[in-house]
Amino acid sequence: MAMDNFTNDTIDTTTLPKYEAVALTRLHPNYIKEVMLSRGLLLLIIAIALGLGIVFVDEIAAQQTLFIGGYVLLVFLMLFLAFLAVKKKAYAFRNHDVIFRSGIIATNTMVIPYNRVQHVALHEGFLARFFGLAKIEIFTAGGVSSDIEIPGIAKEEAENIKQLLMGKIQKQL
Amino acid sequence: METHFNQPQRQSPIGVFVIFFESVFQVLKATWPIILVTLLKAKPGAVFYSFLVFLGVVVFLGIYSFFKYRNFTFYIDDANDEFIIHDGIINKTKTTIQLHKIQQVNIKQSLIQRIIGVYALDIDTAGSENKEGNIKAISHELAVALKSKLLENEGKVTDEVVVEEAKTESSVPFLKINLLSLLKIGITSDYVKSIGLILTFFFTAYENLHQAGAEDMINTEKIEGFVDQNSVWYSALVFVLLMFTVIFVINIARTLIKFFNYTVSQQKGSFVLSYGLINTKSTILKPEKVQITKVSQNYFQKKLNVLEIKIRQALSSEKHEKKAIIEIPGCNAHERDEILKLLFKELPQKGTMMQPNFRKLLFSVFLLIVVPLTGYWLLGTYADETLFDFINLAFVYVIFVFAILFFGFRNYRLFINSRHIIKQSGAWDIDNEIIPIEKIQAITTSQLFWHKSLNIGSLTLHTAGGNVTFHLGQFDKIKAYVNLWLYEIETSDSNWM
Repeated sequence: MAMDNFTNDTIDTTTLPKYEAVALTRLHPNYIKEVMLSRGLLLLIIAIALGLGIVFVDEIAAQQTLFIGGYVLLVFLMLFLAFLAVKKKAYAFRNHDVIFRSGIIATNTMVIPYNRVQHVALHEGFLARFFGLAKIEIFTAGGVSSDIEIPGIAKEEAENIKQLLMGKIQKQL
Repeated sequence: METHFNQPQRQSPIGVFVIFFESVFQVLKATWPIILVTLLKAKPGAVFYSFLVFLGVVVFLGIYSFFKYRNFTFYIDDANDEFIIHDGIINKTKTTIQLHKIQQVNIKQSLIQRIIGVYALDIDTAGSENKEGNIKAISHELAVALKSKLLENEGKVTDEVVVEEAKTESSVPFLKINLLSLLKIGITSDYVKSIGLILTFFFTAYENLHQAGAEDMINTEKIEGFVDQNSVWYSALVFVLLMFTVIFVINIARTLIKFFNYTVSQQKGSFVLSYGLINTKSTILKPEKVQITKVSQNYFQKKLNVLEIKIRQALSSEKHEKKAIIEIPGCNAHERDEILKLLFKELPQKGTMMQPNFRKLLFSVFLLIVVPLTGYWLLGTYADETLFDFINLAFVYVIFVFAILFFGFRNYRLFINSRHIIKQSGAWDIDNEIIPIEKIQAITTSQLFWHKSLNIGSLTLHTAGGNVTFHLGQFDKIKAYVNLWLYEIETSDSNWM
């Protein structure tokens, strides 16, 4: 097969482009608003449920302060973590691969070479549309764990990126 | 015999019986507790009626099987390169499988099929579409002819493959695993799995007897009497010996039934594996579709010169994960090398070694020893002092778990050469997972924020056959390798599947 004409010259590993040194692009400033809104809606639903519980269920009403205190803690934690998660997310499209960084406690950096991409999709969420944002989804044959989803990209830019990726994939085939 | 398969055709007429018996077995399997209870508890008159019901069900299944057989047809559509199956009595299904998507064609034989003298043919496909073909009853010649017809299409895709086919067109068995090797594997592997099997067996048996109201059948007094008469240690010893005997017997039986007469032969550049005592299975394995190859061996197996190979192929979906694993049990070191050479065209060497940081051991000791012991101590001190009666048990636990963690850590290595990455791991069964660099789909590196200054981090390689992760290696080295691998993947258009 292809290995018959395989040559094995020494590669100077120090001069290879470094994925870890690439300047990554942060997500669109509107994205933090989108995330906060979606978390806020979720918290609102929980607040309504809790309010109804306090009014109608005696057991909950008896422990009111505990429940309200827990709720306040939940609000703080959820919004704070969401904020951190957004701040940590960043991406870059290089000539031959896409890099995506994420994670709060551990920093995960995933790299997918374009010649391993199966297909690319553009996803516009309900809330994202209000902020003019879209999500790029990049799929490989490696299953869910090796797919990249980059949220919070301006719609137009996302379209362009998708076109660019499609072009790159086509060239590989 | 020249067979074309261009016209829709049915299965072997005798296949009606296969469909019939299979559906009868399915009904029996689903209803056996009810039948048992009826037989045990019901009045004589009721037994007669239940017999009538049973007879009715059998007649119905007979008619059902006949129509099922009548309506099941299959053929190859040459114009579109598709294999088409029509199926169904009331709800009709037409399954279309594109020939180039076919990943594996298996010829199998279950006990029923063996008695009747027909074969089953399974078609596995790749890709996100979850279509699969399954023909239940055809003659052996027809099965073989259809199989080669379905797979010969593969040759059209690339010319290179055709050349290779011509070179190696022989089906002389290239590896035959003898009874002795299987016995060796039987006694030295899968203890945990067998213990699980025994436990599930006892629980389901008990549960079913309980449901049937027949738990008196088990005589617990005898066991209690035995324990009373002898010392605790003696009873425990007898129990452990008994357990081990049962495990050995089950292990040997399981291995023999599953892998009896295991032969590997070469055909058109791919492997044909066939094995099984009761159900004979035949599987095709294509070297280019192999993603991760795992070679496992424990201390006993090393002394006996046997090992196991597990091969992961590209999987179409998570659901098929189990199917995508191919096991080759009981080969010796020489046969392993031959198989690896055929898979990789060379023997993958263990290259540069990478070790994990000692914090990996520290963390697992903390998680599996310090935390449980603290919990135990707290419970014993503040809740129930009698817990401290079991302090011996806690002691054994600590020694056992520490030994596992220590050896697990000592064996945890990543080897890197110019074409392959080999991850070694395991405390007792030592696994070596081999990944050719071109099979990598994506790479993830990961670092906890407090590990930044320590320069340690983790690496995950994603392939179409699953992921392999190496924890807490020297991070700048990992990053340098990632850059190198990305360079290699991106500068060649190698075939990963």
